[in-house]
Amino acid sequence: MSLEAPPRPDQGLFPTDQEYDSLLGRRNRKAQFFKVFCLLMLTIAVVALATLLYTIVNDSFGLVAVVNQNDPDDVVASLGHDPETTTLNDLSYDELVGLLEANVSSGVGRRLERDQRFYEDRLVFESDEVWDEICSSNEPPAGCTRGPRNTADVFSLVQERVIVPDVIASYPLAQSIVNPEAFEQEVAAGFEAGRFGDYTADQASIEWRAWFNTTFLLAPASATPEIAGIRTAILGSVWLVVITVIFAVPVGVGAAIYLVEFAKPSRFNDFVQTNINNLAGVPSIIYGMLGLAILVRVLEPFTSGAIFTTGPAPSDNGRTVLSAGITLGLLTLPVVIISSQEALKAVPDSLRQAGLALGATRWQTVRSQILPVAMPGVLTGTILAVARAVGETAPLILVGAASFITADPTGPFSKFTALPIQIFQWTSFPQEEFRNIAAAASIALLILLLVLNAFAVILRNRYSRRIP
Amino acid sequence: MTETTTEEIVTQSSDTEPALEQTPDDRQRVDDDVPNVIRTRAMNVFYGDFRAVADVSLGFATNQISALIGPSGCGKSTVLRSLNRMNDLIIGARTEGEVHYHGENIYADGIDPVRVRRTIGMVFQKPNPFPKSIHENIAWGAKVNGFKGSKLEMEDLVEQALRSAALWDEVKDKLGESGYSLSGGQQQRLCIARAIATKPDVILMDEPCSALDPIATLRIEELMLELKREYSIIIVTHNMQQAARVSDKTAFFNVKLSEEGMRTGHMVEYSPTEKLFTSPRETETEDYITGRFG
Amino acid sequence: MTPNDQVEVDRTPKSLLKQPRPGEMLIRGFLFICGAISIATTVGILYELGKESLLFFQDERVDFFEFITGTVWQPQGGAFGVWPLILGTLLISVIAMVVAVPIGLAAAIYLSEYASRRVRGFFKPVLEILVGIPTVVYGFFALTFMTPLLRSVLGSSVVGFFNVASAGVVVGILIVPLISSLAEDALSAVPDSLREGAYALGASKFEVSTRIVVPGALSGIAAGLVVAMSRAVGETMVVTLAAGAAPRNFTLGADSFFGYILNPFESAQAMTGYIAITASGDLAYNTIDYNSIFAIGLTLFFMTLGLNALSRRMVKRFREAYE
Repeated sequence: MSLEAPPRPDQGLFPTDQEYDSLLGRRNRKAQFFKVFCLLMLTIAVVALATLLYTIVNDSFGLVAVVNQNDPDDVVASLGHDPETTTLNDLSYDELVGLLEANVSSGVGRRLERDQRFYEDRLVFESDEVWDEICSSNEPPAGCTRGPRNTADVFSLVQERVIVPDVIASYPLAQSIVNPEAFEQEVAAGFEAGRFGDYTADQASIEWRAWFNTTFLLAPASATPEIAGIRTAILGSVWLVVITVIFAVPVGVGAAIYLVEFAKPSRFNDFVQTNINNLAGVPSIIYGMLGLAILVRVLEPFTSGAIFTTGPAPSDNGRTVLSAGITLGLLTLPVVIISSQEALKAVPDSLRQAGLALGATRWQTVRSQILPVAMPGVLTGTILAVARAVGETAPLILVGAASFITADPTGPFSKFTALPIQIFQWTSFPQEEFRNIAAAASIALLILLLVLNAFAVILRNRYSRRIP
Repeated sequence: MTETTTEEIVTQSSDTEPALEQTPDDRQRVDDDVPNVIRTRAMNVFYGDFRAVADVSLGFATNQISALIGPSGCGKSTVLRSLNRMNDLIIGARTEGEVHYHGENIYADGIDPVRVRRTIGMVFQKPNPFPKSIHENIAWGAKVNGFKGSKLEMEDLVEQALRSAALWDEVKDKLGESGYSLSGGQQQRLCIARAIATKPDVILMDEPCSALDPIATLRIEELMLELKREYSIIIVTHNMQQAARVSDKTAFFNVKLSEEGMRTGHMVEYSPTEKLFTSPRETETEDYITGRFG
Repeated sequence: MTPNDQVEVDRTPKSLLKQPRPGEMLIRGFLFICGAISIATTVGILYELGKESLLFFQDERVDFFEFITGTVWQPQGGAFGVWPLILGTLLISVIAMVVAVPIGLAAAIYLSEYASRRVRGFFKPVLEILVGIPTVVYGFFALTFMTPLLRSVLGSSVVGFFNVASAGVVVGILIVPLISSLAEDALSAVPDSLREGAYALGASKFEVSTRIVVPGALSGIAAGLVVAMSRAVGETMVVTLAAGAAPRNFTLGADSFFGYILNPFESAQAMTGYIAITASGDLAYNTIDYNSIFAIGLTLFFMTLGLNALSRRMVKRFREAYE
C-alpha cells in the first residue's frame, strides 16, 4: 500500500512509488542487519565477561589427586577422635600444637617458636633459660615481642609439616561435575606413564577440593600452594586501603573544594585543572616509579620509620606499607578530586548565593550548605576510586611488595603483600596448583570489590532520593 | 457546498459543548469545494495517560497556507507533528483517530512512518541544519529518498531548492562550507530548502520564525507566500499577526480543563483568516485575539 | 521572660571593612595546599623520571641516538635501542583496538540510539562490571584461557606460550567499556533537533543514527578512541603475564616483516612489562638496570601524555561545534 501523491515535476529523478517501496524494503533490511550486528557485538562483551568469571570459578573448585605424607584421618584418629565425625579443622589449638610437637624436629620447632610463640605463658620447644637469654641479646628474634600464634596459623603449620599434602593433579570444576571418571582415568594413566615421580597409585586419593574456602581466607601465605592462604595478603590490602584513604580523601576533597568554591578563574587555576586531568590519565606504573624513587628511596628515613625511633628502624628499607599506601594515594588523588568536583558542581548555585546573601563567609557557606548536599556524591566517587586502588598491582610491584612474606603486617612500617600481588605471583608460577589458588584469590578480590561497589551504589541510591 | 452550508455546520457545532467523545459527521470542518491535502478526523493525541489534544477534525486545503494559533500548551505543535507522525518519536505518545493524506489514513495499521514523511516536509522552530556542507545538507534528504540522478542533476536540484528558498544568491559561492557558517535567518532558509529538495507536497512549519529577528522573519514570510503556489503549507505560530499576514485559513486552539482534570487542547474555531480576525464566531477566539488572555 | 519584654538590640552601625578571619584563612590555606599537592605530584614525576633517565643516558654504555633508533634491547650486550619495547607495546595496543573498537562502538550506538530501558538495564551493568575487574585478574584470564584457546584453535606450533595476540585481545576486552561509555557520551551530545530534522526528511532510524548522529559525534568518538589507546599503552599486568618477558629484538631488512616483526603469535615484551619485570627482580639503586626503567618510563609517560592531550583537543573541537 503506498500513499498516492499527485504527479509532480521532475519525477523522473525520484523513485516511483513502486521503486520507492522496494528501496524502502532494502533500507529496512540493512537496518535489521545493523541491529543484529550491534547486538552480536554486545553479546560478545557479555560472553567475554561470563567466560572470565567461569574460568576463575572453574579453577577454584574441583577434583584433586592428592598424596598426603600423613593421612589427615589417621592423624585425627591418633588423637582419639572418630575420623567419621571429626576432621582436622575441628581439632583444638592445643591438639594442633601437640601434633607439631610430636612430628616436627626440635630444630624446626625451635625456629618456629623463635619466629612466633605458640603460647603466651609457656614455651613448647625452647627452654625458659635459653629463651630469656636470646631475648635479652642485641638482636632478639621476632618471637620475643610478637603475640602468640592463632589457630589458623598453627593449622597451616600442621598441614605443612605433618600432613604434607601434595596435589599431583587437579581437575576443573565443570569437568569434575560432568565427567569425574575421566579424571580418575587421567590420574591412573599418569601413574603408568610415571609422571608423578616416586609416588605410587595407591598413595594417591582423589577427593573434592574447594580451593576457595574459609581456611584459604584465614591461612597465611606459604610456598606450598596446597596450604597457602591469603590472610597476609588481605591484611596487607586492608592496611593499604586505610593509608590510601587517610591520605587521598582529605587532600582530594580539599583540593576539589578549593578548586570549585574558592579558586577564581585564572591561568594558574586552569593550569592546575589541566594538570589534574593529565594526572588522571597517567598509567599506574608511573605512579609506582614515583613511589619507588621518592617515597622508598629519598624518603627512606621517613617511610622506614627510622626517624620516629631512636633504636633500630622498624623496617630496614623504605619498602613498607606506608610507602605503598601513599603511592596508591597519589594514584587515587586525581580521580577523587575530579569526582568530588563533579559532586560539588552538581549543587545548584542558588544554595551558594543564598548562603552568602545571609552574610556567611565562603567557608561557612561551603561547610553548612554545600558540603552536606554534595557529600553523597563525594562519598560515592571516593569509594569507587578506592575500589579501583584495591585492584592495582603495578605500582605495588614497583614499590616493593614483598615477593614472599608470611608475617601479617602489624604497622605502617611493615613489609607487606597485597591480594593483587599474590594473584600476580601465583599466576606467574608454572605449577598447576598455583593456578588454582590464583583463581581462588581472584574470587576473593572480586568479592571484595563487589562489596565496595555495592556499598557505593547503595549509598548513591539512598541519598539521591533525598535530594529534592 | 455554499458558504451558508458551511456556516450552518459550523454554527451547529458551536452550539454543542466541545465533547471529548467522537461524534461522527458533524465534525467536518472542511471546505469541500477546495481539495484537501490533509484531513484529520477526531484525532486525539496522548502522552502516556495525559490527553494533550482532543478530538481535532480539520481539513487543510491544497496550495494554501493554513495557520494554527493559540496560547501556550494548547496543543497546536502536537497537532502539527501528528500530521507527519513525528509524535511517534516520543516515547509514550499515542494517537487515536484518523489523519487522511490524499484520502489514505496514515495511522492505519501497517503504514510505515518513514513513508509518510517522504512527501510531507517539516521546518522546525530552531533552525537545525546538519553539521555538513550546505550542499550536503540539501542533497542528503534527496539521497535518502532514493534520488536517481547523476551528480550534475543533484547539483541542479540543490540549486533549485536554494532558489526556491531565496537563498541561492547568498550561498552560491560557498556551497562547500558548513551549514553552521550561516546566520540564523539563512539557516532557517537552508532548512526550508532542505525540506523542499525532497519534492514534498506539504510543508509543515513549527513556529519557523520565533528564533529569528524581524527582518529575517519578513523574508521567510515572503518566502511562504511564494511557496504556496507549489506547496501546501501548514504553520504553527504564536504570533497572531503573522497568521493574519500570511495564512488563508486559521484554526484557533485553546486549553480546556477536561473531565479528568487535565489541561487538554482542543480546537475552538477554524475559519478563513480574515473572518477569524475581524468577526470571530466564538467569544473565546475574540478574547484571545483582542488580548484578553494568552 | 515574657514575649513583651524588650530585647536589647544593638543597632549601632558596624564597620563594613574586611575583618581578618584567621580561621577562614587557615582553611583556605589548607585547601590551597591540597590543590598544590597535585602540582607537586606532576613535578615529582617529571623530575624523577628526568633525573634517572639522565643518569641512564650519561652512562658510557648508553648512546642517546642508539636509544631512539636502535632495534635491539639487550642490556647485557650493551644494546639499548628502545624500539623492540615500543614494538611490543604498539602490537598489543593495536590488537586491543582492533578488538575493542567494533565492539565498543556498536555497543555505544545500540545503547544510545536503539536500546529500550530494559535492554540498557541489562547491558550497562555488564559493561560496568567489565571495567571494575582488576587487570591482574584479566592477566590470569589471558594466561589460563585465551592462550590455550588460541593454541588449540590455531595450533601450538603457530602460537607461542607467551604471545602478543593473547594479551592484545584481553586488553581489548578490558578497554571496551571505556570506548563504549565515551562514545555514548559523544552520541548523546548530538542535539535531538538534528535527529528530528533527519526523521522529518523521511529517513529511517538506521539512516539517522549512522549517517547523521555518528558523523556528528565523530570527533568526540575519536577522542574517546584515543583515550582508550592511551589506556592500552599504559596497561601493565596483562602484558606482563601473557605477552612475554623478553623484548622482541629485530633488524629491519634482515627479519621477515610479517613472519617475525609483526607476528602476533610470538612473544614480545612491552614497555610496561619491562619496567615491571625489571623492578620485581633484585634491583639495586644506581645500576644501569635501575636507571633504564626510568628512561623507558619517561618514554611511556610522553606517549600517554601526548595521546591524552590529543584527545582533549579533539573534545574541545567537538564541543565547540555544538555550542
